[in-house]
Amino acid sequence: MNNVLAYTIYIAITLYLIYWIGRMCHRNGRIFILKLYRGDAESTDTINNILLLAYYLFNTGYALLRLKNWEHVLSVAQLVASLSHHLGLLILILAVTHYFNIGLIYFLSKRHHHFTS
Amino acid sequence: MNTEHIAYIVIAYFCYLPIALGLTWYVAHSLFRNSIVFMKDIFNGREEIALATNTLFRIGFYLLNIGFALYILKIREPLSSTQTTIEALSFKVGGFSIYLGIMLFLNLYLFFRGKRVAKQKRLGYEMNKRYNNPGPQQ
Repeated sequence: MNNVLAYTIYIAITLYLIYWIGRMCHRNGRIFILKLYRGDAESTDTINNILLLAYYLFNTGYALLRLKNWEHVLSVAQLVASLSHHLGLLILILAVTHYFNIGLIYFLSKRHHHFTS
Repeated sequence: MNTEHIAYIVIAYFCYLPIALGLTWYVAHSLFRNSIVFMKDIFNGREEIALATNTLFRIGFYLLNIGFALYILKIREPLSSTQTTIEALSFKVGGFSIYLGIMLFLNLYLFFRGKRVAKQKRLGYEMNKRYNNPGPQQ
C-alpha cells in the first residue's frame, strides 16, 4: 500500500526534474552547438531538438526501469529513506552525465579556436 | 523497531532535508553570483556564451550536490533518544558540509584554470599575429 505512494511521488518528481533539466540544457547548450557548426542555425536547431528527444527517452526509460526492484515499504521512515535513495542515485547519474557533456564540449572546442580567444 | 524509534528517525530526516538543501542552495547562489566575472574574462567579454556556461555549471553543481545529499540520507543506526538523534544528525550535516567545501574549491580551481588557459591562448595569439604581420612602422 505504501509502495504505491512511493511510486507516485517518485514518478512525479523524476518526470518533472528530467523535463526541467532537459529544457535548461536545451536552451543553454544551443550556443555551443551553434559554434561547433560555425553559425549554421538550421542544422543546429535540428541536432538540438533530436538530442533533447533522445535525452528524454533515455532518462524516463531508466527512471521507470528502476521501479522494478524497489524494497518493500512498511513505515514513513522507510518511505523517505528509499525515496531519497532512489532519487539521489538518479540525480547523481544525471550530474555525472552533465559533467561528461561539458567535458565533451570542451574537448571538441579545442579543434575550433574561436571559443575562448 | 517500535513506533517511538521510527518517530525519531522521521524527525531526523525532516530536519536533515531542509538543512542540506538550503546549504546547497546558499553555496551555489554565492559561488555562481561571483563566478560570472571569471566567465566574462574567460570568454573575452562575450556575454551570451559566458552566461550559458555559468548556467550549465550551476545546473551541474546543483545536480551533483543535491543528488549526493539525498543519497546519503539514510540513517542506519537505531535512534532511541533525543541525544542519539542530535548526534546522528550533526554527523550527517557536518560530513555534508565538508563535502560541499571540497566541491566549492574544486569549482574555484576549474575557474582559475580556465582563466589562466584563456590568458595564455590570448597572449600566444597576439604574439603570433605580431610576428606574422609586422606593422608598416616596424
